[in-house]
Amino acid sequence: MTSAAVRVQGLWKRFGQQIAVAGIDLELPAGKFIGLVGPNGAGKTTTLSMVTGLLRPDQGTVEVVGHDVWRDPVAVKARIGVLPEGLRLFERLSGRELLVYSGRLRGLPGAEVDKRATQLLDVLDLAGAQHKLVVDYSTGMRKKIGLAAALLHNPEVLFLDEPFEGVDPVSAQTIRGVLERYTASGATVVFSSHVMELVESLCDWVAVMAAGRIRAQGTLAEVRGEAPSLQKAFLELVGAGGRDTGSDLDWLGGGAR
Amino acid sequence: MTATDVTAVVVRLKLSLLRNGLRQSGGRRAAYVVSAVVVLLFGALQLLGLAALRGHAHAEAVVVLLTAVLALGWAVMPLFFPGGDETLDPTRLVMLPLRPRPLVRALLAASLVGIGPLFTLLLLTGSVITVARGGAAYAVGVVAVVLALLVCVALARAVAAANIRLLTSRKGRDLAVLSGLVIAIGAQLVNFGAQRLGSSGLKQLAPAGDVVKWVPPASAIGAVDSVSSGSYGVAALQLALSAAALAALIAVWARHLTRLMTSPDGSTLQVSAEPAARGRAGSGLSRLLPAGRTGTVMERSLRYVWRDPKTKAAWVTSLAIGLIVPVFNALQGTGSVYFACFAAGMLGIQMYNQFGQDTSAFWMVALTISSGRDAYVELRGRALALLVITLPYATFVTVVTTAMLGDWPRLPEVLGLSFALLGAMLATGAWTSARFPYSIPQEGYKNVAPGQTGLAWISIFGGMVSAALLSAPVIAAAIWANVAQGGDSWGWLLLPFGAAYGAAITWAGLRLAAPRTAARLPEILTAVSKG
Repeated sequence: MTSAAVRVQGLWKRFGQQIAVAGIDLELPAGKFIGLVGPNGAGKTTTLSMVTGLLRPDQGTVEVVGHDVWRDPVAVKARIGVLPEGLRLFERLSGRELLVYSGRLRGLPGAEVDKRATQLLDVLDLAGAQHKLVVDYSTGMRKKIGLAAALLHNPEVLFLDEPFEGVDPVSAQTIRGVLERYTASGATVVFSSHVMELVESLCDWVAVMAAGRIRAQGTLAEVRGEAPSLQKAFLELVGAGGRDTGSDLDWLGGGAR
Repeated sequence: MTATDVTAVVVRLKLSLLRNGLRQSGGRRAAYVVSAVVVLLFGALQLLGLAALRGHAHAEAVVVLLTAVLALGWAVMPLFFPGGDETLDPTRLVMLPLRPRPLVRALLAASLVGIGPLFTLLLLTGSVITVARGGAAYAVGVVAVVLALLVCVALARAVAAANIRLLTSRKGRDLAVLSGLVIAIGAQLVNFGAQRLGSSGLKQLAPAGDVVKWVPPASAIGAVDSVSSGSYGVAALQLALSAAALAALIAVWARHLTRLMTSPDGSTLQVSAEPAARGRAGSGLSRLLPAGRTGTVMERSLRYVWRDPKTKAAWVTSLAIGLIVPVFNALQGTGSVYFACFAAGMLGIQMYNQFGQDTSAFWMVALTISSGRDAYVELRGRALALLVITLPYATFVTVVTTAMLGDWPRLPEVLGLSFALLGAMLATGAWTSARFPYSIPQEGYKNVAPGQTGLAWISIFGGMVSAALLSAPVIAAAIWANVAQGGDSWGWLLLPFGAAYGAAITWAGLRLAAPRTAARLPEILTAVSKG
């Protein structure tokens, strides 16, 4: 419980003039369900990309389960599973082929890959579509097959970027069930989202991000503080609490024309 | 709204779209004016040319064939420029409460506005002038011009509507990428035929004209000729054929239109589950391949050659050109066995920008490469997948070319050169894949993302020049074998030498590229994720 799954120090990333991540420090405890929350454009995806080794930071260090992501990629890449947002999969493979491909690339023996793929496809309700090409999958199905590929090698830490975005309630419930079972076994899940209700109901540890900085991090209770809900606490933190819709749209609603 | 209102509104819409399009930029306006002038000049010249043909024995064959080609042009146009005309896209009008019948009439009227129809009108008028003799013939000619023009426009509309329906399904879009290729290769064949025709004169056209004068819309122009020679019955039949074709096209178009506007976008429909047989075929393929990462990478690469439309189009182009250049040259007697090396060169290009071919899915590869060794095995797997196709194909092309020229003594030498060149292409391809990756957009015909064109040029042309330089030792040996006294008897040695050299240089190239790949994974991912 005391050891950190992810330790980030002084992480910076600029894209031209734009500062995407402005020197953040994070210490995410192992064995927790961790939510990285923030509005669109807060730098969540950039942060997760740098933590998982998909984007090179301008400055700063990232350690995952005690190993430096950039100096010791062998140790890190074997221990993490990733579901990025906005990147493609090898979509001209069928769902099963994608899992087998991903598992074998990670050096798992063929028979073991087949066994795990079958079970994951079953649990994630994809068995019926396993021979369909991923390019023909719906958004929810894509997230689920991406999750299966990320879980196949049984990683210690799982990074999910917006895993519930555009996912129907049934698929969301399935994904949730799998993730809860996975953390119960002592593994760590780090996921980003801008849906506060979801984070509140799933996570026991939260980091709030806005405009490239970490505004708060800690257990759900610590971050929520006095506020009635995480949503309220979040709006306070990012300074958008007092905004009113106003009375400008008084013609809207209440009959036609 | 009444039917005439709709027509007026749509025609006005078309005119304002045209005007606004021109208002957007000076360059666009200039381009439009220039193309309009060129098209009109060309049309006027054609008109004069056709008028000059008046009285020529084969004039009828020329004009009916011309009309047929014109109609073909109208049919093919919307496939190439599906977004060229915004009023052509009926899906934009879906939200408006319009009935199909007035809409069809309105859209048909709107399509008559523009340079294309004007050009067609010029040519059709010229055609009528060429073959019409007597007042009756001119009277029929007026009907024929209107009929033929309407058939052309309706044809374009029907094809466009069918095309939009095709393009809203994934399989249709996949097909569309390939259809461009088919049309391009078809154009080459037509070109070949036209050159043949150019050498033997108009008389060649007469038999074709006899058939085509019964095919709408050419039959309408054929009718004018029939009236001129007094065959009123034949003329009536020909006109009726064109009119029937117009009615049929409009019916087809209206049906497509109704379905387009009332049924949901095909891309959101559930695709029925495909049979499980495919999985079985896959395991058969994997049983033939080596175990571990090598086999896994090869299997995925080979699957993509077949399943990914962009990769498939690139391969088909390479395979076709690699065969056409040496074989056609050999056919025309200008060939040399050395042209057979072209196949190896063309196919070697497929090794270039390997990671760009992955698109942003490269992250899946990047996350499993944690050392130079992993990167080496990854690149080697891709090179091996390529060789599975390339090696037999390059050998086949070389043997075929040699057989056509009967130059058997040179076969081992040319094979050796091919293998050395292929090795050099694989080596430079692997290195540039790591050093100069760029994105390949998945939609449309472009093969380079905007802003990366320079990168692609450096990668491909720099790589090809380097590959030629790298093959220099084998080329020098081949020259020596041909020039030196008694060198001929050593020519066969070039086969083992070239093959060994090719293998060695591929190995060296992969060795050099691997650590670069492993060190640049995030940069490569960024470069291939655009577009």
